[in-house]
Amino acid sequence: MIVTNTETISDYTIQETLGLVQGNTVRAKHVGRDIAAGFKNSVGGELKGYIELLTESRREAMPRMLAQAQQLGANAVVNVRFSTSSITSGASELYAYGTAVVVNPA
Amino acid sequence: MLVSISLILFVTVLFGLGFAGRFVEQAHFKRLVDHEQMRGDFLVTQLKTYPGAVPGQRSPTMVCAEVVIASDYLKNFFASWQDFFGGEICSYSRMTDRAKREALKRLIDEARSLGYNAIGNFRIETADIGDRRTKGAEAMSSWIGYATAYHCDTRAVTG
Repeated sequence: MIVTNTETISDYTIQETLGLVQGNTVRAKHVGRDIAAGFKNSVGGELKGYIELLTESRREAMPRMLAQAQQLGANAVVNVRFSTSSITSGASELYAYGTAVVVNPA
Repeated sequence: MLVSISLILFVTVLFGLGFAGRFVEQAHFKRLVDHEQMRGDFLVTQLKTYPGAVPGQRSPTMVCAEVVIASDYLKNFFASWQDFFGGEICSYSRMTDRAKREALKRLIDEARSLGYNAIGNFRIETADIGDRRTKGAEAMSSWIGYATAYHCDTRAVTG
């Protein structure tokens, strides 16, 4: 499965456009992480716990999107976008969406 | 007496943590500048059209990077003053600048580790993480960046 966030794929031609595929997830970090982030907030710098939260969210949302694409019989997803929202304190939503296509090498 | 001691203690802690934060920030900026100078012929664009793509190579792939940077107490303290008078809050501008440049750095590192030498269609978006603590008390800057990594003949593009 080729995944890109461009509308075309270099060296490939899009043969069939199958439509929108999407995946989302809402994840929360346990309280310990939030407390650790609170301490880190006193001196500033990277909040590793929250970065992990976002990475985990992406690793969950992307396969959901790809599974949908697979079901449609696609071999690539183009023009992938991410969108996020904070649902409640300590939780974040990550939404990945793209267009499932069938591509052939040019 | 007690009030003045606690005030001195408060100011000391505030500035102590603030200077620690400043030190961490400067070290981070130095790493970023070093990385930016070492970039060489790695091409970064936000074009959708694969400039200079080399045919017959491995197919392009998407790379992602997340970054969350927290502010420190001193920054918050100055920001609250600036908030009163209005105008640019420079310490927060620096914080978001740091976060975005770090995201780009990570994208480039990931693309490189996968064997690509260019990224196109670079996008960066804010990634809201709900803060469990009081809203606005502790600022942070969270971003998700993504791009498509591909093989590129850089000299053909940059001339």
